[in-house]
Amino acid sequence: MSERRRARPAVVLRVPSGTEFLATIRDTTKRVAELAGCDATLAAQVALAVDEASTNVIEHAYRGASDRSVELRFVLGSGELRVEIVDDGAPVDTRALPEVDLQRYASEGRRGGLGVHLMGRIMDTVTFRRTARGNVCCLVKRLGAGEPREAR
Amino acid sequence: MSELSVSSRELEGVVLLYPSGFINAHTVSTFEDELQKAMGGGRFRIVVSGQDLRYVASAGLGALMGVIEEVRSNGGDIRIAELNETVGNIFEMLGLQHLYRIFPSEQEAILSFREGADTGIRDA
Repeated sequence: MSERRRARPAVVLRVPSGTEFLATIRDTTKRVAELAGCDATLAAQVALAVDEASTNVIEHAYRGASDRSVELRFVLGSGELRVEIVDDGAPVDTRALPEVDLQRYASEGRRGGLGVHLMGRIMDTVTFRRTARGNVCCLVKRLGAGEPREAR
Repeated sequence: MSELSVSSRELEGVVLLYPSGFINAHTVSTFEDELQKAMGGGRFRIVVSGQDLRYVASAGLGALMGVIEEVRSNGGDIRIAELNETVGNIFEMLGLQHLYRIFPSEQEAILSFREGADTGIRDA
């Protein structure tokens, strides 16, 4: 049986879709990442990426509604930590990660758009798909893959 | 316990903001309120001192991005100081050192305003 088939959720967390639960998401992610072998700095960065993905769910898929739920599935195995963030809200834009022009964002006074960019900087892969259960954002960090990429 | 508190003081014509705790989508309005309070009082020389800032998500970075143009067009600037390693890494990861002047110490950030309104930031 392949490593991939043996991999299964190590931790499943379901929280209401209120931003007050982002701290719970952050703390749980950091702890799981440390269990997966990430050092404290990398674990904090992975927690930030998951915070950003969860915030996107709350703000965009659920449009701020706090009476829905966000499910996180942490999967350890195959030399990677995979986190799936699942919601049953409105379909999200699943196109490739946008390039961010910071100078333009600043001159336009834009407040949004950095979260997805940050996810892409921290994680090795960031993918979105629509399933029968809803939106799934999948974040993967290869373990032992070194530090996150520097800004270009 | 609140996840974020922000205190402030003014020194040599510079507003110093001290966010303490975690800035994310849940807490960012507290940080934005303090930024707006400074700007509303016509004070556009601002230092965000991160000595007690443990975490910042894009919501907090967006709050800075959202006002930087207005601050600079009023002859001021937002400068950053005393970031811990975790938060400093986030700024670098996004290339924000090309948009903001970041100083090791609060004092250096305050003194930098004596140089004038020039942000000192050049295109990367």
